Amino acid sequence: MKTFLAILRRVGRRLLFSLPALLGVVVVTFVLMRVLPGDPAVFFAAGPSAGKAEIDELRHQMGLDKPMPVQLVRYLGDVATGNLGRSLTTGQPVVADMRARLPASLELTCTALVIALFLSIPLGVAAALRPGSPIDHGVRMLCTLGVCVPTFVSGLLLIYVFYYLLGWAPDPTARIDIFASTPPDITGFYLIDFALTGDWQGWWAAFTQLLLPAFTMALFVLAPLARMTRASMLAVLGSDFIRTANALGLKPLRIVVAYALRNALLPVLTITGIVFSTMLGANVLVEKVFSWPGVASYALDALLASDYAPVQAFVLLMATIFVLVNVLIDILYGVADPRVSVE
Amino acid sequence: MNIPRRAVFHLATGATLAGILPVDARAQSRAETLRYVTGANINTLDPCVPGTTRESFGLSMNVYDRLFAFGRKQVNGNWVFDSSVIRGELAQSYEMSADKLTITIHLRPDATWQDGSPVTAEDIKWSLDRAVSAKSLAPPQFSTGSLTSPDQFRIVDAKTLTVSLTKPDRLALANLCVPYAIMINSKLAKQHATADDPWALEWTKTNTAASGAYIVESYKPGESVILRRNEAWKGGANGKLPFFRRIILQTVPEAATRANLIERGDADLSIDLAASDIPTMEKSAKAKVISVPQTNGFTHISMNTQVAPFDNPKVRQAIGAALPYENMFQASLFGRGRRLYDASWTGSPPNIDFPQPMPLKTDPARAKQLLAEAGLPNGFKTSFAFSTGAAATAEPVAALVKEALGKVGIDVDIQKKPDAEFNTMEAEKKLPFFIDAGTAWLPATYYYFYLYFTRDQRWNFASWKNTRIEELAALARFETDPAKYEAECKEMIEIFADQQPLLMVWQPNHDAVMAKSVDGYTYQFYRQADFRDLVRA
Repeated sequence: MKTFLAILRRVGRRLLFSLPALLGVVVVTFVLMRVLPGDPAVFFAAGPSAGKAEIDELRHQMGLDKPMPVQLVRYLGDVATGNLGRSLTTGQPVVADMRARLPASLELTCTALVIALFLSIPLGVAAALRPGSPIDHGVRMLCTLGVCVPTFVSGLLLIYVFYYLLGWAPDPTARIDIFASTPPDITGFYLIDFALTGDWQGWWAAFTQLLLPAFTMALFVLAPLARMTRASMLAVLGSDFIRTANALGLKPLRIVVAYALRNALLPVLTITGIVFSTMLGANVLVEKVFSWPGVASYALDALLASDYAPVQAFVLLMATIFVLVNVLIDILYGVADPRVSVE
Repeated sequence: MNIPRRAVFHLATGATLAGILPVDARAQSRAETLRYVTGANINTLDPCVPGTTRESFGLSMNVYDRLFAFGRKQVNGNWVFDSSVIRGELAQSYEMSADKLTITIHLRPDATWQDGSPVTAEDIKWSLDRAVSAKSLAPPQFSTGSLTSPDQFRIVDAKTLTVSLTKPDRLALANLCVPYAIMINSKLAKQHATADDPWALEWTKTNTAASGAYIVESYKPGESVILRRNEAWKGGANGKLPFFRRIILQTVPEAATRANLIERGDADLSIDLAASDIPTMEKSAKAKVISVPQTNGFTHISMNTQVAPFDNPKVRQAIGAALPYENMFQASLFGRGRRLYDASWTGSPPNIDFPQPMPLKTDPARAKQLLAEAGLPNGFKTSFAFSTGAAATAEPVAALVKEALGKVGIDVDIQKKPDAEFNTMEAEKKLPFFIDAGTAWLPATYYYFYLYFTRDQRWNFASWKNTRIEELAALARFETDPAKYEAECKEMIEIFADQQPLLMVWQPNHDAVMAKSVDGYTYQFYRQADFRDLVRA
């Protein structure tokens, strides 16, 4: 109970301290968007025979004719009341767009992270147990390959082999076969929604659709995770308590998993947090290649069109998620190593 | 306010999808469904709101009826729109008064809105009033047909209206065929109008009140739109219903994926594949390509005629003589399009078609001579800009322009700019020398000159000011004597060919790639697929 309260207090304090940082992010993005060349009013009033009057009218509607400080105060007021503006690219309120698209990105990123962890930790451990062996070199090669092949290349390659040539994968567009019906909107996570409604055929369809993009992303983050596991494992395996455990004749599996791996996990957790946040924001290429209706491709489209509201909202969302993930990682530290949560 | 409405919308679509649709959908065979994949977004269901994408224009043509529609004709075995034939869509017929100032429109007696209520003259009057008075992109378009005030539209009886004009504008009727001229179920739309938004522009962004061939079944902005055939549609060319019962429009951003989908036979149609994929598609066993030059469009190399040195016609003519047109055409489009250079006429053009090939020829010696005459024998420095969005075709041109102009002493700095920045600089007339493209919905010669070569406005790419052109464009617009109209158009083309404010270089092909079984594809003036014409053989 006491440790739980301590964790809670820590979380609360962390969240409070992150507020100024978030405010800073909002202001910087706001100013940055307006400093960039490109006028959204000109871009969007692009109909044939749309003239100066139409551009000015649109600028007025968007509030862009006001001085920048006035716009900023207005925007901050809107953000405080949960109004993130309207996207001109999709014509929808940004909040609605984000609500519809964030689950898609999160589902993809989480699945990719799970796949990456399931692959990288055993690989890292295996490499650490036999440093310099062919296994170690093999893992190093795989990691190098994963990190140096850009995701759009590996994505297109996977599509070409598994969809175009072999025909094993469903067509790589969107979250579910376009001819199938989508699940009722409960959480927005298709796998969860299908499971909740007991539609296992739909669940399988959504799952197979998810595999290819998730693997593409997982491949890219394999390297940091596996390398970190290897390095950290090497350090732990060389320490006194492992030698003692070996001397006592404990089972090798128990030594590796229960004593070595658990102690080696802290840096891996840290890097997992960073990797997750990066993946969520940087998976725009995967989303584009697989027509995945996520937030990153949405923000990119908006940026190219100088559509201010969605870009600002996206940056704010990413900053918030980054804060939350870091808090979560802090809590997990406590689970992995009880010494950390004692202040 | 938005959230409850959206929630209701979600519930409604959820219920339809879970309850009725799957059974219905399964019963309809795949053969009667067309899956169209595109790299672009559909961002509104109302084509009039600012920011509407071209994809949304295309959708609205299938969902909304206009009063009139252009016909179509076959050119080299391909269907192409024909703006010289105007047929009734929601109108059954029309009469033009002898002085060409009054158009009497008779509505189809049996036409209904998609909710089943009859189409009345009041609905049409409301829609026309909206087109000329709402704060949207429609009024400036309709002003090009002299349609500017609600007073011009009068109801005669429940099925008849008149449109009166102050001058015999040759494009009045044609303007009623463009994407903006949607006819709206006014009873339905008025329920969603507010004091701030009397024309329900906000509501029509995500809802429809239409009578067209297809009913929007589900709309996910930026993802997909699913259309169902309107079985009560009466607006077809010969009263026939479209072949496809169901249309799925899906956004697939990656061009390679779109190509894969078509080659695998999972998608039926795409009109925006990468140019490099087209030759592969032509050889494919499952797909076919229909290539039609975009007859109402043009790619141009523009010079800002208001700033030195391009304010001197001799400098512009020198550039016109220095460019290696054929190399540019091959490098940019692999020769897939229609050339607008290399014509052999001098003086007066052979006909009044526009754009038509101009007598532009590569002649570096003449370019040097013209530069010397302009007082710039040693050339000058300038920059040449293009937008990132057009990089695939513009980048090779830029490289060749730099090389060719370097040979006559002009030092060119290539500038590649993000789309939004490029558009802004272009609209603010800050680009001295650049490549871009233009399209006119209404391919009338005078309209091109009015739109692209007169007035201080955004689409006057070269900021060209020529009083004679302005006079002629104004005259031609209201000219009722065909012989005089022809003479005026010819003179405009002559002046254009001599002054060279911009160099029209070519019309790129519109490449529609489709499954072998799909037939009847028509190249439309708004450059999008018209699903109503398509059939599966």
